[in-house]
Amino acid sequence: MRAFLLCLLLSALPASAHAAIVRLEMRPGIPASAEYLAGQPDKPAVLLLHGFLQTRTFATVATLARGLNDAGYSVLSPTLSLGIPNREKSLACEAVHTHSLDDDVAEIARWVVWLKSRGHRSIVLLGHSFGSMQLLAYLAGRPDGAVKAYIGTSLIEAQVGDTARGPLIAQLERQVRRRERALVNQPLSFCRNYLSPPEALLSYVRWDAARTLAALKQAPVSTRLIMGSADAMLGRNWIRSLEDLQTPMVVVQGANHFMDGEHEFDLLEHSLEFLARTR
Amino acid sequence: MALRSFSIQHIALAFITGLLILVSLIGGFAAYQTRTVTGNLAQHNQDAARAELTSAAQRLLSQTKDQAASLANWDETRQQLVMPEYYTHWRDQRVYESGMLGSALARAALYAPSANLLAPGSKQDFPSRLPADARRGEAAAWLANEAGTIALYQAFAVYGDERKQTLLGNGLIRVDFMSALQGQQGFHFADMASIAVTLAPGEALPASELFSRLSFGARPDPDQVRFQEILSRTLLALFVLLVVAAVFGLIAYDRLLVRPLHRLSDDIDAMQQGRFSDARARSLPLRIAELENIRRSLYDYQFQLRELHGSLEHQNREFHSQARQDALTGCHNRRAYDEDWARFREELKAAPQDVAFLLFDCDRFKTINDTYGHAKGDRVLTLIADALVMALRANDRLYRLGGDEFATFLAHTTPAQARQVAQRCQSLLDAASFKDLGINEPVSVSIGIAYCPADQLAHVDELPKLADIAMYTAKQPGRNRIALYGEDTDHGAQTLVASRETSALFQALATPGLIELHYQPIHALPGRHVTHYEALARIRYQDGLIMPGAFLPVVGSRRLETEFDLAVLHQIDADLSSQRLPAGKGVSVNLSAQSISHPEVISLLLELSRHNARHPLMLEITETSLITQMVEVRTYLDLLRSLDYRIAMDDFGTGYSPLRYLVDLPVDIVKFDISLVNKLGQSDRAGKVVTDFVHMMKNAGYVLVAEGVETEATLDEAERLGFAHAQGYLLGRPAPLPQQTPAAHAPGAVSAA
Repeated sequence: MRAFLLCLLLSALPASAHAAIVRLEMRPGIPASAEYLAGQPDKPAVLLLHGFLQTRTFATVATLARGLNDAGYSVLSPTLSLGIPNREKSLACEAVHTHSLDDDVAEIARWVVWLKSRGHRSIVLLGHSFGSMQLLAYLAGRPDGAVKAYIGTSLIEAQVGDTARGPLIAQLERQVRRRERALVNQPLSFCRNYLSPPEALLSYVRWDAARTLAALKQAPVSTRLIMGSADAMLGRNWIRSLEDLQTPMVVVQGANHFMDGEHEFDLLEHSLEFLARTR
Repeated sequence: MALRSFSIQHIALAFITGLLILVSLIGGFAAYQTRTVTGNLAQHNQDAARAELTSAAQRLLSQTKDQAASLANWDETRQQLVMPEYYTHWRDQRVYESGMLGSALARAALYAPSANLLAPGSKQDFPSRLPADARRGEAAAWLANEAGTIALYQAFAVYGDERKQTLLGNGLIRVDFMSALQGQQGFHFADMASIAVTLAPGEALPASELFSRLSFGARPDPDQVRFQEILSRTLLALFVLLVVAAVFGLIAYDRLLVRPLHRLSDDIDAMQQGRFSDARARSLPLRIAELENIRRSLYDYQFQLRELHGSLEHQNREFHSQARQDALTGCHNRRAYDEDWARFREELKAAPQDVAFLLFDCDRFKTINDTYGHAKGDRVLTLIADALVMALRANDRLYRLGGDEFATFLAHTTPAQARQVAQRCQSLLDAASFKDLGINEPVSVSIGIAYCPADQLAHVDELPKLADIAMYTAKQPGRNRIALYGEDTDHGAQTLVASRETSALFQALATPGLIELHYQPIHALPGRHVTHYEALARIRYQDGLIMPGAFLPVVGSRRLETEFDLAVLHQIDADLSSQRLPAGKGVSVNLSAQSISHPEVISLLLELSRHNARHPLMLEITETSLITQMVEVRTYLDLLRSLDYRIAMDDFGTGYSPLRYLVDLPVDIVKFDISLVNKLGQSDRAGKVVTDFVHMMKNAGYVLVAEGVETEATLDEAERLGFAHAQGYLLGRPAPLPQQTPAAHAPGAVSAA
């Protein structure tokens, strides 16, 4: 794997005096970038991942990154390429989504490696929403040993709307087997019209609630969930299911899916509290 | 230079026409100004259209450029260049649904770094290879004519990094330029249908040079068009309104001003011609107060004028009547006679009828006048006139021609009827009460009648003369005082009318020189030498001489005494001027009593008075009894005497020269008629009476001349009685003047002739 540091750019924000943009060519012709906020070396580095089709500049993620960095933690906030060179903006639902969960997990792994290359031996994965699920998928694979903990905020499975997931998966698998490349328009997560090749779509659709709970349950690192009691995007029994899983979880009362507003501090507080106990 | 007058109607027409011309000029000026403004607005529209079109084109270019920039920076564009598997979906759907291309008029295509078109086999209008110019510039733009369609191409480069060091490929936006341009909002001035880009088929034009090939037309400004329409309609309406107003104004002007003025003018003209408008027209009031005042004043004036005119007419009629009425007798005067007779003759030409002319003359009126005085004489004339008027028919008019002479002419009459009227006149006169005036002697009137039948009206002008002849006949002794010309006149006179002598007389009167004067010597007594010659007239006619005995009756009967005397005087003037008469010898000339009062005769005598120095002239008045205007005759004779004329009474002793006239007239010489001279020397009572008469006349201071002396005894007796002169065949016969002057002959040649 060839990785290279493209450049470090000083951030315009005064509070981010140590911010740098890191660019890695994830696949040939498809570079991706991440913002690296250097923190105290004795503290674990946080790999903070954005939600579905978003970028690291998404408010919940960006605010949390600044908060964590202010607390002395080094934070790497990548923007998944989703198959687009130097993607800088959130990708529209109607765009052609050629990326797959495997590609996302691979990019996460690349960034974990990059953190390690930066000397971080303790890495905490922190995701928001669909990013929490993508980090679980990474953890479900062969995660790097430097990854010590996992914080999932507003964790959500790959929702497919009203579509019966079983038949959908079967159809997609069939299309994959047939090597059909025609784009499939299928509701996914908050997208009502998610356009994607069958194989790429199938990679996400398979991560239903059960598989997500399983990955959480089977995560090889300490985990912590921070959920909002007013998260309208979650499934009806999703919080209860998580509670049933007995995964350490903090439910911020009144917080929505994005934990914006005053709940940004709750998210940061609970995250710091968990990080403080992580080495 | 006289100012020309114009009709008020012409002035009104000129005013209306001038007004219409003025309005037309104003309208034309307004139209010109409007056209100028319209031209300016059109130019402004053209400029605005150019600015608008330029703005729209620049906006379209800018939009296209912005779209190109957006596409260049779009993640999904980069995605297609690194993973073009779903490029057609991106090209045909994503760019539109994402809003990167605003309309279907624009399409986008991507080119690999090798400049080859992605998915070249698909249906599209893009070049398979990106033009080299587009690769050099990041935002190259150009237009191309592709089978009649003007396409705008905007190229853009797509980089994989912010520093633009990694070129992923290129993109191209193709826009249907004309449709996109026309789709631009805000076209108010440019005519969309007229916009065109001049490009040859296949020709490419850099977008920066677009405006050099862009042609367009300005769209008519709706407000401007509406303004023009409103202005045109307004001008047309104004003109029509003005024309209608002018027509109505003209009608009102005609009704209110022109017609009343014409009426007033016509009334004034009628007043000038003596005609007056009827009361109905006068009662119509006028609408214009000033005209109404004029009308009232005019008709009041007309009324007054009419009354004055009526008064004047009445007075005029009275004056006319008085001017044609004899103040003494009340009958018509000479002036009325002249007018009526002339008019009557004109009427005869249109309506021929039998006509009788009656001439009345009072017998011996001179005697009555002298005997009883002029007052009685006037009363006599009045009674005569009354009697004659009563005797005439109802429609007949009596005219007093002068003195005691009256006349009338009778229409639709016969000679017998005319004679009956004349007899009735005399009957009434006989019954008149002249004795009441103290006049004991009978007063009678002689009546001459001339008749002209309707088929001989060519001779109607001669009626007064013929009536005068007839009246002359009626006065002759033995007549019954009524004479009808042709029936009662002398046969001789009648035959004379048509005789050789009559013709000779009239020819002599009309032709100077035909009257030849023979001079009879008058000898002074005693001594018997010639002192005068009496000029005696002859008429040379057809190589012969007509003697006075033949033509004088014609002269008398035709009352041509004056004309004849004038001819004789002219001939005497010629004879005396020829100086063939011995100088110092007097000449005696016979003049009828009627000629003495004739102005033309007096005038000629005054002229002849120049000969008195060489030839003392003597006037012998004949027929003095016929003198009616004694006062005038005496005045004329006094005048002639003052010019050395000597006045002689001729034929004294005949009925024509009574003694009374000798007393009244300024006579120097008395010529005893031959009838008295022959009595000289007789021992009977007649001889004694003549002798005593000679003595009485001599004692009264008259110079006496004995005429017709044919014997020595008579001559001796005349000489003895004291006659100053004598003439007669014994002393010398009348002879013509010698053809040569007296210088060539011995004195007394005339008497010897």
